[in-house]
Amino acid sequence: MIDVAALKAHAKSLLEKGSVRAVIGYRKSTAGLLAEPATIADADATDDLIFDPTCVQNLALYLVNDKKERVHSRSDDKRPIAVVAKGCDSRAITVLLQEKHFPRESVHVIGVSCEGTGVVDARKLAKKLDGKKALSVNFDGSEAFSITTEDGAQSIPAAEVMAERCLECRSAHPTLSDMTFGEAKSERALHAPFQAVKHKMKDEQDNRWAFWARQFDRCLRCYACRSVCPMCYCEECVVDSINFAVLPDTTADEKADRIKWIERSPARSETAMYHMVRAIHLAGRCVDCAECERVCPVNIPLRLLNTRLEMEAFETFEYNPGSDMNAPTLTSSFRDTDPNSFIR
Amino acid sequence: MTKTVAMEKMLNKADLAAWMGKLDSHRLFSPALEDEDVWNYMPVEEAAKVLLNHPNTVRPPKGFVFPQREVLYEYSQVPGEAPVLNETLPDPAPAVVFGVRPCDSRGLVRQDIVFTKEYEDPYYQGRRAKVIYVGQACNQPPSPNCFCMSVGGSPCAEDGLDVLMTELDGKYHVKALTPRGSELLAKGGELFKDAQAADKAAVEKAHASAKAHPQRPIKDLGKVAGALKANFDSPAWDEMAKACIGCGICTFLCPTCHCFDISDEVKCSSPCKGERVRTWDSCQFPDFTMHTSGHNPRETLGSRLRQRVCHKFLYFVENHDTQQCTGCGRCVSLCPVGIDIVSVVERLGQP
Repeated sequence: MIDVAALKAHAKSLLEKGSVRAVIGYRKSTAGLLAEPATIADADATDDLIFDPTCVQNLALYLVNDKKERVHSRSDDKRPIAVVAKGCDSRAITVLLQEKHFPRESVHVIGVSCEGTGVVDARKLAKKLDGKKALSVNFDGSEAFSITTEDGAQSIPAAEVMAERCLECRSAHPTLSDMTFGEAKSERALHAPFQAVKHKMKDEQDNRWAFWARQFDRCLRCYACRSVCPMCYCEECVVDSINFAVLPDTTADEKADRIKWIERSPARSETAMYHMVRAIHLAGRCVDCAECERVCPVNIPLRLLNTRLEMEAFETFEYNPGSDMNAPTLTSSFRDTDPNSFIR
Repeated sequence: MTKTVAMEKMLNKADLAAWMGKLDSHRLFSPALEDEDVWNYMPVEEAAKVLLNHPNTVRPPKGFVFPQREVLYEYSQVPGEAPVLNETLPDPAPAVVFGVRPCDSRGLVRQDIVFTKEYEDPYYQGRRAKVIYVGQACNQPPSPNCFCMSVGGSPCAEDGLDVLMTELDGKYHVKALTPRGSELLAKGGELFKDAQAADKAAVEKAHASAKAHPQRPIKDLGKVAGALKANFDSPAWDEMAKACIGCGICTFLCPTCHCFDISDEVKCSSPCKGERVRTWDSCQFPDFTMHTSGHNPRETLGSRLRQRVCHKFLYFVENHDTQQCTGCGRCVSLCPVGIDIVSVVERLGQP
């Protein structure tokens, strides 16, 4: 079982020694059951750190945000930043390292085990508790969560309220870390890999299009799926109007004539294009943290789009994003043995 | 507004569908599941299935009067001729929206201020005149993050509504609040019985008990604006926004947020033809305040969080003497990273 006190002590000592600028971890939220990401720079505040099955967010995002922020700041502090990383978070960090988004020495990875049970799906849990409010969720062995409500604690089989992505997770233990807490339980595989998308693929093409047309029509275009994705780090995004560098000598005509790839209107064509662009840009990069799906306020099953392409990367090229920081990325590598049936 | 005594009637729960059946001159909407766990205002297809026992809808009802996309005008130009502009004012069929929570109808009152007080927006007004709002008092809090009473509202507030319904044992207490509301009740005819003294006592009791549910408090609401102003330069804004991912959930799903962008959607370049549209925009997006020079005065997440909170609790108060937050709790419940407007106001909005 993960020793949260030891995790706090490690974070505290890193900050006291001054070997890191800050520690990115989780703390309890005032907004609800799920933890909130916390960037802690003060050693005394490390006591706020928690790690339990409510720690759902992929904190690799904050490494990307930190880099952006540092580009604008004038700080010359070269110390690394520490980050708490579950298996999926560590895979995301690995992809960022493969893509040379930042150097290895700029990050201190505090790996945490999700104890074979993964994290909780708040919607499934709410349904399971049937109106009762969960006050806390804790790991309870490798097959259950201990859940506290007003009526006291109860043990619930983890598979019943676990996040979908965790059911299909193939490497639950951090693949990359400088220090790891909790037991190494790398295989979970309650469901076969790509089970959800393979199930969906069985449906007729027309039905699949009808399914996605309905989903795209419901999309709010709040871009939470893009904003929460650690791999969506482009400075210029096709959906934003700032995807055009304005320089002192840029003329008014050039500004007016800029290409709008996707209109702001929430029309099916535009929304479909947005989600397709995102999914294709994630091919061979998506680590299936499924944050895009979790944050969607209207419940669009975005994981299906991304895992469809991950399935392609895996089945065609045996490529597992985030498994080896020294390996080349999928799209920048070539092997003689790669299938080339598409080259004519 | 005419000073008539509010009409109070009783309707058997079983007769709700019959009443809806008599309103076929209007399009009817009520909260329904758009998808698993996603409540939205949907067209009533089968009145008998409307239960009005919904939690807070994910989408507020603001889209009826302020849709995410509004065409302002169509334009076209034949080479060598003058451009032709064709204004496209909306003229929707009349609609009745059932099950509106008092926080959302108070949100509507705030939208009215924005779109009709200083400038009368014909697109907004064209839709507003056609929508009748039937409210539903919250006997039970519809969300764990409700805080309507902390921002001057209540689970049985009437502002912005045409009718307020309160569920009692097997019946609804139905109160008409505007002439439009009275007409709606009149269409129900015999289905409605006059509320007796006992009914009025029962509804008062239900409202009192609704108000007794504990909510998250905001201390000294009257002093929040001043405190926020004093804390404008606080480093806490950056600290509290550190986890913010910069998405549009909090603003798009807010019943009072009303910011929009205007763009031209070219349908054809030769001959030139297209539409000028306004679409929802969000102060949380990175390009919201981007200048053409490339300078962005609200570059950081902290400055954007400050804008959102100060617009609701400082600028709107200065301009219109009321908060622009009605305590529906959506931005708190749906934020992917737990950013909590009540906590922010607690921290930076207290003297």
